[in-house]
Amino acid sequence: MARYAMVIDTRSCIGCHSCTVACKVHNDLPVEIIYNPVTTVGPTGVYPDLHMVHVPLLCMHCDNAPCVDACPTCASQRRDKDGIVFVEDEKCVGCLACVMACPYGARIKNHATGAVQKCDFCKDRVDLGMNPHCVNTCHQKARIFGDLDDPESEVAKLVNGENAVRLLGELNTEPYVFYIYGLEVKNP
Amino acid sequence: MSAKHQSWGWMLAVDFFFAGMGGGMLLVAGLIELFAGTGQLSLLGNIVGPLCMCVGCGFLILELGRPLQAWRVFMNPKAILTCGAWIMSVAIVVGLVYASYGLNPAWFGMDKLFWQEWGALRKLLAVVCVLTGLVVATYPGVLLGRHKGRPFWVGPGIMTLFLLSSVVTGVAAHIICGMILPPVEMPGAWNHLPALAGGLLFFQLVAWIGYLWIKRTGTTAAEAASALKWLQGCYADTFKAVVMFMGTIVPLVLVMIPSPLCQGSGALLVLVGGVVMRCLVVYAGEDRTWLPGEQKYRGRLPLGNEAFLKAWSK
Repeated sequence: MARYAMVIDTRSCIGCHSCTVACKVHNDLPVEIIYNPVTTVGPTGVYPDLHMVHVPLLCMHCDNAPCVDACPTCASQRRDKDGIVFVEDEKCVGCLACVMACPYGARIKNHATGAVQKCDFCKDRVDLGMNPHCVNTCHQKARIFGDLDDPESEVAKLVNGENAVRLLGELNTEPYVFYIYGLEVKNP
Repeated sequence: MSAKHQSWGWMLAVDFFFAGMGGGMLLVAGLIELFAGTGQLSLLGNIVGPLCMCVGCGFLILELGRPLQAWRVFMNPKAILTCGAWIMSVAIVVGLVYASYGLNPAWFGMDKLFWQEWGALRKLLAVVCVLTGLVVATYPGVLLGRHKGRPFWVGPGIMTLFLLSSVVTGVAAHIICGMILPPVEMPGAWNHLPALAGGLLFFQLVAWIGYLWIKRTGTTAAEAASALKWLQGCYADTFKAVVMFMGTIVPLVLVMIPSPLCQGSGALLVLVGGVVMRCLVVYAGEDRTWLPGEQKYRGRLPLGNEAFLKAWSK
């Protein structure tokens, strides 16, 4: 058993959008679908004390995933063996229940197929022992992926050792994507 | 993330309206059957209730991305949508069987319809109508109220609003149906429905004022911002003019006037207010609690009709 998680170190992210592009290319996504947007907060402050933070967003692979509970067809599932949340395309009827239930906006309806799509941590690669494409392509090593149940893994050390936070943690969805901020980030 | 339409649209709102109204009609029919006796409501009303739910199901299916696989929505018992689909299916069948008790055997060239002699079954069906009607009338509110990331919906208050609106539209529909095809027992419980509608409309008025006031003042910043749209923003004019004034206050006055024309007009306005209210509520759910920098990011995404998006396909 494993529990895959991702730590995003915003101190290292330079907002190059390489992860966004790598994800779109390797997953062959239509132009309007983006699994991995990189948002920017700022610049804030007064010269010369200016700050800007880039925040890569993706599916949070929540332990208490509201999208899985909301899906009436069981197309949205969470794998027991590693906690990855994914959509089984054949079962999806495109009712948008999961899209509306997800507080992170991580799910998108593909208007060509009628089904909903989302980031699945590149589960086929992960099953082969490889990292997701976004992690591989990040030249700043701002994305760290691994097994949180393994105390020797880098993600476990970062989550336990740094001030790692979860987005919208107050909603109790228990997301498994953690953020390390160098600065206080507020939604402008 | 996509710039295209990524939330529920008007068809789901219309489904909520028809399903809620049908559920309200079943609830009222069952209660009157149990506590006031048989033949108090119009046969037309008893038939229209389940049929409204069928129409609602039709709109729900059309809203799906893959309508031909609609049967799959019955598969996850933990999902509210699945529970709603099952309960609505039971309500439609039970409602139609209950309504069949009012059919005239002569219409089918028979002396009697055999099940119409089973009085105990009729009462049992009325009980099931009350239970399933109540659930169908309430479940859209429960469904919306569980959305943690949708500030205007989240919380139990929306459930109260949907239940009230479903019951009042159900009562209004029974009033209209009774005017088209009067009940067997006249004067009876049907004559008191306008007063009931008036009371429910008053509660609806108070509930909406309270809901918006609580959202605006007592909760998170996102919820306060969402409520502001109903008071001063993009939904304000339609909400105040159609839902509150035309769909609640005017019918509240009209149904209290003892004139069939006034009461019928009032009932029709209640239905208009009900469908517009649901459209506004569903559209208000498009607004999610934003993540850091997300609003600016989304604002820069193409809408889909830009020239550069089509350049490669020319």
